[in-house]
Order: sequence, then structure tokens, then C-alpha cells
Amino acid sequence: MNYTFQFGVALDGLPQLLKGALLTFELGVVTFWGGALIGLFFAALKTFGSRPVRWLAQAYVVFFTNTPALIQIYFLYFGLPEFGIRWSNITCVLIGLTLNAGAYLTEIMRAGFLSVRATELEAAETLGFSLPQQIRYVIVPHIAKTIYPAIANFFIVILVMGTSIGAVVGVNELTGEAINLSTENYRWLEMFIVAACIYVVLTLIASISLALIGRWAFRVKAKIF
Amino acid sequence: MLERLIRELPRFFSPENLAFLAQGVGMTLALTFIGCTLGFLLAFLLVYLRQTPGWWAAPVRLLAITYVEIFRRIPFLVITYLVLFFIAVFVDNASLFLIAVVAICIYSTAYTAEIIRGGFESVPRQQIEAALAMNFSRWKTLTRVIMPQSWPVIIPPAVAFMISFIKDTSLVSQVGVFELTFRGKELNNMGFSGILVFGTIALLYFLMSYPLTRLGAWLEKRLAASRHHRPQR
Repeated sequence: MNYTFQFGVALDGLPQLLKGALLTFELGVVTFWGGALIGLFFAALKTFGSRPVRWLAQAYVVFFTNTPALIQIYFLYFGLPEFGIRWSNITCVLIGLTLNAGAYLTEIMRAGFLSVRATELEAAETLGFSLPQQIRYVIVPHIAKTIYPAIANFFIVILVMGTSIGAVVGVNELTGEAINLSTENYRWLEMFIVAACIYVVLTLIASISLALIGRWAFRVKAKIF
Repeated sequence: MLERLIRELPRFFSPENLAFLAQGVGMTLALTFIGCTLGFLLAFLLVYLRQTPGWWAAPVRLLAITYVEIFRRIPFLVITYLVLFFIAVFVDNASLFLIAVVAICIYSTAYTAEIIRGGFESVPRQQIEAALAMNFSRWKTLTRVIMPQSWPVIIPPAVAFMISFIKDTSLVSQVGVFELTFRGKELNNMGFSGILVFGTIALLYFLMSYPLTRLGAWLEKRLAASRHHRPQR
């Protein structure tokens, strides 16, 4: 144990790391919304579609949730150029992660769809609710309450686990920047400790804001801790 | 393109390459199993510490909570790098397998601790109060009252976590552990088509993950049934 920590060097790289953190956040948001759209689409197919359509949606979910996101990205990055499709590394990461997130979000959204009961809609109709009113007062609160905690949790998972995979194919998000800087000054340990702290702060901010939004918009008691 | 695939096919599925991939599969499964099992045991300890009563134990509780909160918020890739360079400080020439197991252990401890805590808290308070009234020690309350009732709540998500971690271990290929993804990268570097290699690797992961997922779902249903049929008051 003869190691001297030199955080000064690592802190010099802070602006670059923060730039990486911004890209991490952007990647997380884009992936999440892309995945949410895909999830909504496939959840609708799985709930209301005909048998072959349901089967197709199920195949998509099962395949993407049972293979690593890293392999999906490798497939896009190293496999597709053989067909003459050359995407940049960031495009591959975005598409791979979005498809991956879409599969997980399909399952989450379907649980939301299933939580609305036909009897409640009938009750609302009996009380003279119009269709927009039914959506506003019966369907949305139900779905939001069931899936908001799961979705908020999944956003954090994408933000942390998901985007860091990009570093493997050379996207300069937070982990990627930490690797880049460390290969220049060989302060791997300090650099990664600083990067880890940024991840903790970033996700704490995200968790707290999501919990507050959930409380304010959907009256969901989402856990912060 | 297609001709190339067909041309490479017999060469790719040669006995050597298949043995090579089988080793990767074995390594991936071993890493996941050892890491997550150790993680489960440590998580158990962590929850026990977190629930220590008394004001004097406040720092211990705080430490346990901080551990869980911090390590659930750091990407697994970053944890792997941290372990890699941290171990290098203490141990000379630590094996990469050890590094990967430690990284998986650290990460899975944080996640499993939340699962175990949820399970313990699902036991009705009155049961614990009754144990207290009968002068059960804390350890005895845990082993005789809380644990028998919380297994059905803990086991299914813990197993699901372990199975989903088979996929996440692909990230330790980044530090050079010879598991399935790393083997795939090597085959790709040897000049085999990326589509063929990573398609095969994806299929192998699928064959590991999917049957186990189904097994986990079956287990969950079975345990839920056993919970349900408990005699009601």
C-alpha cells in the first residue's frame, strides 16, 4: 500500500467530465423518450392486437430483454457495416439503447394498461363522464399511479447503467471522458472516483426531481430513497 | 454479404471455436453465480446491520444506508474500473477473475440489500412484537420468525436479479475477463463476420437467460401459491 492519491490532477479534468455528464444526461433523456414511444406502441399491440401481432410484440420483448445491451450495440457497430450501413458510434448506442429500453418499457406500460378495469369505465359512463373526462379522470390517474414509480426507477437505470455502455464503443459520455482523461494522465483511480461522485449527484438530482414531479402531477408517492 | 456468411459458417463453427465459446459461457455463468451468491450473503449482513436498534448503532445504520444508496447510483462499468485499479494498489497481480467477482459482488450487494429489506419489512409488526414479548433474542427473532415468512417474498426477485445479471456481466469484458463477450470480440478480431459472431453471442446469452427467466417465473408462482394457501385466521 504505497499509493498517493492526487486528486488535483483529476479535478483539473472536472470541466471535461461535466461535459461528459451533460452528454450522459442527454443520452439518457433521448433514450428514455424513444423507448417510451416504442414501449407505448408495443404495449398497445400486446394488449389490443390480434394473435400474430401480439406474438410479434412478445418476440421483440423477449429477445431484447434476454440479450445484453452491449451485444446489441456491438451488433449494430461491428455487424451492420458488412451490409454497407455505417453508423457513427453515438448513433449505434442511441439506437441500441432505445430498442433495449423500449422492450423493458413495453412490459411496464402493459401493466399500466391492465390496471384500468372495465367496470370502472362503465361506472364513469353511468355517471355521465364524456370520453375526454374518462381519460382525464379515470384512465390517466390509474395508469400514472401504477406505472410512475416503475418508470421513474427505470429512467435512473437507463441514466446510469444504460448510457455508460456507450463508453465501450468510444462515446464521450461521463464514463468515456473518465477513460479518455485517465489514459492521458494515468490517474485512473482518482478520475473514476470523481466520475462516480458525479454519477451519484446526477442520479440524486434526477431521483428527487422525479419524486417531486410524481407527487405534484400524479399524486404518486414515489420513493426518493 | 450472404456468400461471405455461408463461406465462413463451417470455419466459424469449428470444434475449437465451439470449445472457445463454451468456455466463455462457463465463465459468464460462474462469474454471475459466485458474485451474486456472495452478494446475497453480504446483503443479508448489511440489512441485519441496518436494522440494528439503539442510538449507539446510528453510525452503523447510516453506513449501511449510504453503501446501498451510493453503489446503486454508480454504473457497473465504473465500479469495475474502480475495483480494477483499487485492487492493484493492495494486491500485486490480482487475477482478473477475482476483480470481476469483487465488482459483481459490490454491485449485487447494494441491489439485493433492498430486496431483502423489502422482504423483512413484509412480515407483520405484530409477529415481531410477539417474539419480543416472548423474550426472543434479535437473532432468534430473525431466524425463527422473520426469515421463514419472508423467503417467498425475497427469493423470486433475488433470483430474477441474478438472472438479469448474466447480461450485465458482459461489461466486465471491458477489463479483459475471458467471458462470453470477450470471446466474441476476439473472434471478431480474428476476422470473422461481426454479424455471425455477435449474432451467435446474442443467441448464447438468450439461451442462458430465457430458460432461467422462465424458471424464475415458475418459482415465483409456486412460492406465491405457498404463501396464499397458508391457513388464514
